[in-house]
Amino acid sequence: MEIRPILSALLRNKIAPLLVALQVAISLAILANALHIVTLRYEAATRPSGIADEHDAFVIELSPLKKPPFAEVIAQQKRDSEVLRAIPGVASVAMINQVPMGQSGWNTSVVIDRKQIHTTSVGMYMSPDSLVQTLGLKLAEGRYFTDDDIEEIDFDTTVDVTPKRVVITQALAQKLYPDATSVVGKMMFFGTGNDAKEVQIVGVLQRLQTQNAQTTPEGEYSAILPVRMTERYGEFIVRTEPGQLAQVMRDAETQLRKITPYPIIVKLTSIDEARAKRYRDDRILGWMLVVVSGLLLLVTASGIVGMTSLWVSQRRKQIGVRRALGARRVDILRYFLTENILITSGGVVGGLVLAVALNQFLVSQLELSKLPITYLATGAAVFWLLGVLAVYGPAWRAAGISPAVATRTA
Amino acid sequence: MFQYYFKLGLHSLRRNPVLTALMVLTLAIGVAASISTLTILHMMSGNPIPDKSDRLFVPLIDNGPLDRYTAGQMPEDDQVSYRDAMNLLAGGHGERRVALYGVGDAIEPARADLGVIEVEGIAATSDFFPMFEVPFLYGGGWSPAEDKSAANVIVLSRKTSEKLFGSENPVGRHIRVFSDDFQVIGVLGAWNPAPRYTHLINGNGGTFSGNDDLFIPFSTAIRHQQDNDGSLTCQGEPGPGFQGRLDSECTWIQFWFEEKSSLDRSKLQDYLDAYSREQKKFNRFPRQNINRLYNVMEWLDHRHVVSNDSRLSTWLSFGFLALCLVNTVGLLLAKFSVRAGEVGVRRALGASRAEIFKQFLIEAAVVGLVGGVLGLLLSAGALYLIAQQSKGFAVLAHMDWMMLALTFVLAIIASVLAGLLPTWRACQVMPALQLKSQ
Repeated sequence: MEIRPILSALLRNKIAPLLVALQVAISLAILANALHIVTLRYEAATRPSGIADEHDAFVIELSPLKKPPFAEVIAQQKRDSEVLRAIPGVASVAMINQVPMGQSGWNTSVVIDRKQIHTTSVGMYMSPDSLVQTLGLKLAEGRYFTDDDIEEIDFDTTVDVTPKRVVITQALAQKLYPDATSVVGKMMFFGTGNDAKEVQIVGVLQRLQTQNAQTTPEGEYSAILPVRMTERYGEFIVRTEPGQLAQVMRDAETQLRKITPYPIIVKLTSIDEARAKRYRDDRILGWMLVVVSGLLLLVTASGIVGMTSLWVSQRRKQIGVRRALGARRVDILRYFLTENILITSGGVVGGLVLAVALNQFLVSQLELSKLPITYLATGAAVFWLLGVLAVYGPAWRAAGISPAVATRTA
Repeated sequence: MFQYYFKLGLHSLRRNPVLTALMVLTLAIGVAASISTLTILHMMSGNPIPDKSDRLFVPLIDNGPLDRYTAGQMPEDDQVSYRDAMNLLAGGHGERRVALYGVGDAIEPARADLGVIEVEGIAATSDFFPMFEVPFLYGGGWSPAEDKSAANVIVLSRKTSEKLFGSENPVGRHIRVFSDDFQVIGVLGAWNPAPRYTHLINGNGGTFSGNDDLFIPFSTAIRHQQDNDGSLTCQGEPGPGFQGRLDSECTWIQFWFEEKSSLDRSKLQDYLDAYSREQKKFNRFPRQNINRLYNVMEWLDHRHVVSNDSRLSTWLSFGFLALCLVNTVGLLLAKFSVRAGEVGVRRALGASRAEIFKQFLIEAAVVGLVGGVLGLLLSAGALYLIAQQSKGFAVLAHMDWMMLALTFVLAIIASVLAGLLPTWRACQVMPALQLKSQ
């Protein structure tokens, strides 16, 4: 009913409303994409690693200045394990060569056929202890290793690290055998060609991220080998009783230093620290985008408030005339609200197009994923609401203009 | 006239304080967001050795096996094997050659009660220091003869030297590291290239942050069987132990050539191609052998030194600046529209449209200038906050003179752009109409 006069008024003075619509469009385009990116990063950073109760686990890494002979290293590793297990507050200890999200470790390539050209890169965990117990992993099928499976390997005399059995993750099992309902008992190869080493899958884990925790499916392609190795001198993952982490970390360092007969370098990292470090860049980008989005809304809102205030002051006389001719306050209020919704809607439509275009650009340049429709809908809703809120103040002041204004000159 | 309009512009800032403050603030925030993200991008993509970057080359040789290979496929390794490093060193091509890899160990102080000091550094051939123009505070690097004899000599970073010897000159002193006795022959001056282009593939901090505490001859590190602190890629299985790795096709060494001029690139390419043809006679290099060369900037690009995240932030910040610009257009429009009367009087008194145009554009530029000052303060604050986030950012988040100047240029260009439309509108004022209504 009222839209026609408002529209024709808008068309007579195009520039100012166009500017507001343009602001809404740009803001919407940036906001929708920024929130999409923040959500993606947040989701990636909070993915489960496979480790249960991460707050109660840490890694302790020991390196001596000069590596002792093989037998001595093995004996020392066993002593260290016992000392760690005896510390009050320790729930479980396992030797390990790398941890999820630790960002350093071993990769290997696996195939299910020696002639296969395309290999799958896999994070290679090695432990003579039960990682299922210490990391709190869950078996989807099959079994974990028994003591009979464990092999001791001296890297200075042999290069063959491959044992006879292996436990892999569900994600890797599905990648290797996409059609199989069960992979337990099936074979796979480390390496390709004639040198490839054949191993048997004995168990499948629900989840265990690789040391790099990639955001692609590769992030969960892990395998555990039942191997005690001396390539690294000693690295243990320790699970503590709830809340005892800090105390146990201190005790572990003191105790191990005490029983080692030569100088060693000790490095302690809690799983929480490893996670924070792995996703630090994502967190920084996320915060930066949140700050920009906040400023964006603020600038757009101030733009709408400023422009509407200007119109109100320009049209004081018209408003007075309308009031004098019988328009109620609510009519004036409604006029400005309607006008603003029209402008915002124009901006939102332009913004949706712009948002999709910006997303296309980011997809082509940065391998970002497509913008889901929900972000567009949310963005549109946010700006309609923002428009109404921003215009309410000036519109209310306009409604307060006395009809007597009409009778005054200029 | 310019000065007078400038003064008028300054004066007019006080006319609508709220509107003006809003304008200045909007502009300043937009400029600050763009400048702080652009600074990071600028520092990331900077040239670490401008006078030489087009004549230092990283050679890559495809030594992978035939299985898992489809013809024409680009090689995936970014380092070279020990065998190739040794051959290329011995080949003597170019002005200088450097083979290097990362090493890590601990220094054992003379007093046992002090505990060990963990250190990381580089094992390199003697050309490293002249090739990368590394400055020395005391002493110098080692000689080719010491390369050959795998001498126990060591160069320390200034920080390490101060940690061990205080402020005195340690040249000639001995330290115990790599389980052996080393003689200090030099201490580095200030040398902190960003990015750390000489060894982008490293295990001690990454592309921008991290310390190289010490430097030893390449051959000495090999003699002490020092493991590589960095990345190791094996396509097949190496033999056992350290010797197994040296004999293998595993890649773990970074190599650099220095040529006299960038024009010698094709000569180097020919040399590499000849080398790989010759090696094929020894049953090596079964693949097609696409030998690649990268100069410094190409190498940084190949290693993706500029992160996608910083590109993304910069683009979005400039989008944000565009928004601030549109907002400023609106605010200037409002500010100028109430001055139709003034324009009418000036026009009636004989001022041309061009003069009005000049006056209002200069007024817009004054807003930009003030916005620039505030924007500079905000950028400095934003960069300070960014630097707190990580060691890498602490290296990058520094404003140089170029960015400082750019802040003002950007602010003034933005405000003048924003002022164009409102100024044009102001020029359209009909003097007769204005004077009549008054």
